Amino acid sequence: MNILAAAIAIWGVIPSGAGEAWVCVHAIDGISRNPEAANTLRNNMILACALVETTAIYSLLVSILCIFLG
Amino acid sequence: MFDDFLKLELSGEVISSLIVMGIIIILAIIVGIMARFQDPLKKPKGLLFLAELGVDFFDNFTKGMIGTKLSGFGGFIMAIAVYLFLSFIFGLTGLPSPMTNMAVPLSLGLLAFFGIHLVSLRFTKAKYFKRYIQPFPVFLPINMLSMWAPLLSLTLRLFGNALSGYVLMNIVYFALENLSEMIFGGLVSGGWGGIFIAPLIAPILHLYFDLFSAFIQTTIFISLTTIFIGQEIPDEDDALSSNIQLSREGGK
Repeated sequence: MNILAAAIAIWGVIPSGAGEAWVCVHAIDGISRNPEAANTLRNNMILACALVETTAIYSLLVSILCIFLG
Repeated sequence: MFDDFLKLELSGEVISSLIVMGIIIILAIIVGIMARFQDPLKKPKGLLFLAELGVDFFDNFTKGMIGTKLSGFGGFIMAIAVYLFLSFIFGLTGLPSPMTNMAVPLSLGLLAFFGIHLVSLRFTKAKYFKRYIQPFPVFLPINMLSMWAPLLSLTLRLFGNALSGYVLMNIVYFALENLSEMIFGGLVSGGWGGIFIAPLIAPILHLYFDLFSAFIQTTIFISLTTIFIGQEIPDEDDALSSNIQLSREGGK
């Protein structure tokens, strides 16, 4: 039962992955339009990716807690 | 009573946290002594140069994010950032990383939380309590709940990142040890067959789960803290420009 709960909880990473792809698509779009801004865009992209990753980390945390403490 | 105090049992993470604080205090004292005896006309070098770079960076960073209305936040942010980064990468020494105990990220989150609310209280005075009944008094319970959202998100982001890295590294070490035992177990006797593969693969993963994670999470934590604090300060320029617009409309 714990494993089932963990498996359901890890589904939360799907929208997070889609969001990260969205961030990357737009950053690359911006870089291809304006290659001089590549450095700023890359830094902001990594920051935004890590921010979007937060929801995935939450679900990973919940599923780890489900396995070990549930 | 005193005996109980001496027999105080601390968890490993808290001891690591104390070690990190000790390192930071010693570094701060050394930098302070170096700064006192430094000729201000000469170029700084070594540790002092690094410290000056850091102080300069954090001063400019907070000035850009918070604005010039509230000065002196650079030290607060720099202390949080240095402690956060060092305690995140402290897991590399083999001792438990302080971040894997819920209390440490929670206390960092509480620091940010109190910073946000105290700054808001200082700048908006009695109007501060008005934000809980906006737009209608019916929204009071919802507003009371959403008050805790920044604290939870800051805490769980750090804790989740550190804990997931720790658990994944442990799983990888376990798997690699078993794999190595299967391959080299026949050649080396005495249970030493498990030590051959992990040193080749684990450092790359440590690079991501400890160093990169620590850097990114530190950046995000201080960015979010300064952005939240900066949000609470009423913007003078906006008020000024809206006044000008109003007067122009009135003039027409």
